[in-house]
Amino acid sequence: MAQRTVIPFGPQHPVLPEPIQLKLTLKDEIVEEALPHIGYVHRGVEKAAERMDYTQNVFLVERICGICSFIHALCYCQGLERLMGLEVPRRAAYLRVIWSELHRLQSHHLWLGLYADAFGFESLFMEFWRSREMLMDIFEKTAGSRVIISACCIGGVRRDISDQHLQETLETLKMLEAAFDKSSEVMLNDYTVKKRTVGKGILPADKAILLGAAGPVLRASGVEQDARQTGFAAYDELRVEPVVETAGDCYARAKVRIRECRQSLDLVRRAIAGLPDTDIAVRPKGRPNGRTISRVEQPRGELLYFLAANGTQKLDRLRVRTPTFANVAPLVHMLPGCEVADVPVIVLSIDPCISCTER
Amino acid sequence: MMLSSVIRNLFSKPATRPFPVAVRTAPDGYRGAVEFEEDVCIYCGACATRCPANAICVDRVAKSLDFDPFKCVQCGACAEACKKGCVQLQIDYQHPVAAHSTVTFNGALKPPEAP
Repeated sequence: MAQRTVIPFGPQHPVLPEPIQLKLTLKDEIVEEALPHIGYVHRGVEKAAERMDYTQNVFLVERICGICSFIHALCYCQGLERLMGLEVPRRAAYLRVIWSELHRLQSHHLWLGLYADAFGFESLFMEFWRSREMLMDIFEKTAGSRVIISACCIGGVRRDISDQHLQETLETLKMLEAAFDKSSEVMLNDYTVKKRTVGKGILPADKAILLGAAGPVLRASGVEQDARQTGFAAYDELRVEPVVETAGDCYARAKVRIRECRQSLDLVRRAIAGLPDTDIAVRPKGRPNGRTISRVEQPRGELLYFLAANGTQKLDRLRVRTPTFANVAPLVHMLPGCEVADVPVIVLSIDPCISCTER
Repeated sequence: MMLSSVIRNLFSKPATRPFPVAVRTAPDGYRGAVEFEEDVCIYCGACATRCPANAICVDRVAKSLDFDPFKCVQCGACAEACKKGCVQLQIDYQHPVAAHSTVTFNGALKPPEAP
């Protein structure tokens, strides 16, 4: 006789780096229902943004998420630039692409490591995180800090990357790629890894669209959608083709991210090769007025900022919609039917960033 | 599949540094602890206006500046705002102290000399 049990998964769990609770209703070993609870790391960033100067908010929004701090700042600055009618110099747009793609690379490396850890592959976790250190060193050298790089400002970027640093970046990326080739091969072809990921947590394309999935979760289900196609920053010149897989399982989500890493490496190289020689920032004049929506592609999916300004130094409203929030509903759909031992792998396969989600 | 990595790792040095023996220095341009040069400062308050963390408080009349290193997020907005170039970010990190306190700069107080 099968018994139903409710097991709380999280908010403190060895496999989850961030606090989300899933109440799992189990029938023996099989998950029947998952109920998510959030609210453990709410910091009131949106309210704080209404009380600060619009130029100071750049540093505030960067702190929403440490792993893609630059992309948050880029999304905010892009919205304000539209409100203030500022044309960002081309060099700044290219530098924004370089830092964005490096952030995507380091975020995916972080995730691939955590993912390997979720199915108990500690040595693969160490391999990915060792490679990630090279990227952190690039940030430290080019932007002055490892995590919150504070390189973006309204009207452009705060500092230029010298030719010497660009060369060093290219050399580091060469070493990174060699290490990534070895580690990603294990992630994609290893028998035990495939045993834990293939066919787990399947999300069909129609459900992915219906539930509003974003980023690699959406693309792994075969939907061709990437906010970089809208051509923000310098993506209008550096064209990006969305990386698409069709299986919609945990293995496909890992494969999308691995292929995106290669795409990012290619994009950084193309951006460095075509870096124009112009100014790096224009000075903002006047105060922002009006309403706008700014969209960018984060490592986890599409990030959306709604900005309402009133012609003063302070914003009326800043609304942030992060990709993990969009991916929680698909996650709840993926879990029923899986075994309880697969829950950590499936939860991690959406790359949850709860600090982003709760702001 | 991991065998080549395992063999390589057996015969290579660790990726980490033995910290107290090998100290790593941050590269030029690193945003570390904030330092004020009070001889040059005119107490205009530009740094306090730009600081996103409200770590700096300037009294223009009394010509004094209070800096709270515990609030500082080392973004470098103060150094960018300073017309006199008297705010600088050191390459070194913010050193720990025994108690939470602000540092006041008013031209009169000099840092205590090392014994």
